[in-house]
Amino acid sequence: MRNKILLILLLPAFIIVSSNAYSKGPAKIKAKTSDLCSDCHEMLDAKFSAPAKAYSKDIHKSKGVTCAGCHGGDASKEDQEAAMDKKKGFIGIPSNLVRYKTCVKCHSDEKEMAKYGSKIKTDQFENLKNSVHFRQTAEGSEFITDCITCHGVHNITNVKAADSKVNPLKVPALCGSCHSNVNYMKKYNQKLPTDQVEKYKTSLHGQMNAKGNTDVAECVNCHGNHGIRKIKDPISTVYPWNIPKTCANCHSKPELMKKYNLPSNQFDEYASSVHGKAVLKKFDVSAPTCNSCHGSHGATPPGIESISNVCGTCHNFNGELFAKSPHKAAFDKKHLPECETCHGNHGIKQTSEEMIGIGEKSVCIKCHKDNNDKGYEVSKIMWRLLDSLRTDTVKATNLLNRANDLEMDVSDAVFALKDVKQILIQSRTQTHLGNLKDFQEGIKPGFEMTRKAITSGNEAIDDYYFRRSGLGIATLFMAVLAIVLYMKIKKIEKK
Amino acid sequence: MSNKPNIIDKAYNWLDNRFQLNDLVHFLQKKSVPKFRSSIWYYMGGIALVLFIIQVLSGILLLMYYKGTEDQAFESVQFIITKVHFGWLVRSVHSWSANLMVFFAFLHMFSVFFFKSFRQPRELTWYTGFIMLLMCFGFGFSGYLLPWNELSFFATKIGTDMVGQVPLVGHWMLRLLRGGEDVTGATLSRFYGIHVAVLPLIFTSLLTAHLIFIQRQGMHEPESWKNKAESEKTYMPFFPNFILRDLLLWLIVLNLLAMLAVYFPWELGHKANAFAPAPKGIRPEWYFLFMFQALKFIPGKIGPIDGELIGLALFGAAGLLWFLVPFWDRKNQSVQWNKKLNYIGIFVVMFIIVFTILGIILE
Repeated sequence: MRNKILLILLLPAFIIVSSNAYSKGPAKIKAKTSDLCSDCHEMLDAKFSAPAKAYSKDIHKSKGVTCAGCHGGDASKEDQEAAMDKKKGFIGIPSNLVRYKTCVKCHSDEKEMAKYGSKIKTDQFENLKNSVHFRQTAEGSEFITDCITCHGVHNITNVKAADSKVNPLKVPALCGSCHSNVNYMKKYNQKLPTDQVEKYKTSLHGQMNAKGNTDVAECVNCHGNHGIRKIKDPISTVYPWNIPKTCANCHSKPELMKKYNLPSNQFDEYASSVHGKAVLKKFDVSAPTCNSCHGSHGATPPGIESISNVCGTCHNFNGELFAKSPHKAAFDKKHLPECETCHGNHGIKQTSEEMIGIGEKSVCIKCHKDNNDKGYEVSKIMWRLLDSLRTDTVKATNLLNRANDLEMDVSDAVFALKDVKQILIQSRTQTHLGNLKDFQEGIKPGFEMTRKAITSGNEAIDDYYFRRSGLGIATLFMAVLAIVLYMKIKKIEKK
Repeated sequence: MSNKPNIIDKAYNWLDNRFQLNDLVHFLQKKSVPKFRSSIWYYMGGIALVLFIIQVLSGILLLMYYKGTEDQAFESVQFIITKVHFGWLVRSVHSWSANLMVFFAFLHMFSVFFFKSFRQPRELTWYTGFIMLLMCFGFGFSGYLLPWNELSFFATKIGTDMVGQVPLVGHWMLRLLRGGEDVTGATLSRFYGIHVAVLPLIFTSLLTAHLIFIQRQGMHEPESWKNKAESEKTYMPFFPNFILRDLLLWLIVLNLLAMLAVYFPWELGHKANAFAPAPKGIRPEWYFLFMFQALKFIPGKIGPIDGELIGLALFGAAGLLWFLVPFWDRKNQSVQWNKKLNYIGIFVVMFIIVFTILGIILE
């Protein structure tokens, strides 16, 4: 596609590109209705007439921008030499690295745009010049893309028009013209996948876009248009901590979501969740955002069967244990989503021991309601053990902190206590297996370790007081000795 | 009552027959010490000596568990203070007595300086004493690294960097001290060897000489005291009066040491990590602080020369002059109250005190 555009641009080969003329800057756009360039060019053979004929439908032409507006020269002169006079700013076909300046000189100038009755934004170039697509072009080091690459040339139409190259329905193909081209992309980034468009086609967004729905997201809705950044750039709209807001641009619009019978509170729920707090408040990019569960280019809501796979990507032990647990078959039978049934989805909260057991916040008793139920009993014992270990750990930590405050070295016990915290985490994970025997064996060393830590803490505190009482006794002994010596000295000196 | 000799008398007689102990006893009985208002300063050297003995004894106990390698040094000290019975006390006593020893050695030196006790015929006693003070610094500097914690690691780095500033031989000395370009396990091994073998060997030899000189020449009598009429002069027997007073002071210092060790146990901190950024509050031991602080006030460059280098050269020259005071004070042999010398002494004392305080305050 890109090559075709270049070929069209190269057609008027007789025009000598003069860098000298361009360096003086292209002539100011002349908003004249008479455009003799087109009159002549349309009479020439196809390769010279095609740009002129295409331009007759161009939005710029309709606004009164003549060929000279971009190419310079004098469109009112019939004489070829006079029309293409370098003194009148004729630049011919500008090179790839500088041709964007032709667009920028109007599209970055609000007043200039107003002359044509346009109210469109004039920040495109500001955004573009720092984008991944254009930075090198702006620096003059290497041409990658510019305005023409996406918007075309001589046949540019309103971006919302059906025949516009950047119409939402055409954007996936437009981006794919480069991004799906393996040979082209590997020139710039060998690691960048080239299957985005193919994946997009499988997504709900892609499927609806293919059916002509312009509500759904396509490339620019997520990545932006002129100011596209690398996905690893923290200000990219698809950088992990920006993704929730990017998705929320559409998914938090009740009127839009209502059309598709979808909720619009996912962002609020997510923001209050343990994952959302990690991403949005702690800027922890390892925590999941929308695309971690739903996918990015191939975005679809995970089905009931695949939820544990999605969560298990990070919480793999929990997933594995659940798959081996008696709950797996029971959930499957009742068509319950595995993780979501107990933990929820977008609004997942920090887990705690209270989730099991028989308390108000327990999720177990939603099913195991009867106190004769085995699950009820197992859940109760597991909660009791977890709660006891947590309480013991707090007690040991407080004791060791106190010993530490007394400047007693308890670093060994503090270090050992870290293992207990690990056991506590493992035991919480172990609850997913639902096997009491395995659970008890796993948690048992934790109690032994906390007992040792508590003993160390108590010993250190006792030792602290022993040292002081020992010092007191030693001081008393030395004081008595000193008095005896003093008296002896006095006695000797009296003689 | 029978006059039959008891077992102690028998043992004494047995030894006296072989080693003529009576001569020594006679010498001690005859030995006397001038007794005057400022004679308290006579005891400072004795206190420094007893602290040195504590250092040796506690050091030997620490040696039984300490491991002088990069991997084990920190852990072994941690083991000593947490697992070994009274290990915490031994380590704290060792650290505190080192500091007290330097403190009392300073007091001893300045009292000797102001009493002009360094004058003929006691020049060698002064030289040996001054070298021993420098060696105390060496003990402190080398011992500071041994626990291999963050502070000691970076303080050693800075300290050895300063040595590297010495023109011509600086880099060679730096490599000699560090056992390479950087402070590593090789530095620890060297410092360990220096701390427990090289320095004690030389120090003990000098200390023996120092004590022999004192015993041979007797206690120095201040000029003002010498000029008194014989009837006004009072002496006290060295044995047992002076020794008992010494003992009394040692007991007080020992008790002070025990209190410091219990109430302010010497911290271990975190294990040294060469890749970690230098922690806040790195500073040398207090007895280096006046030099460290003074060097900070010197501009980075003085003309074309490095400011720190000039500072070190000045300290070196001042130390040398101080060391050689018996040479350049010869003209004033008979004057106790030599104003010029006293002003110099007061200036040095004030300089040390002020810059040490500044070093603590401006941390």
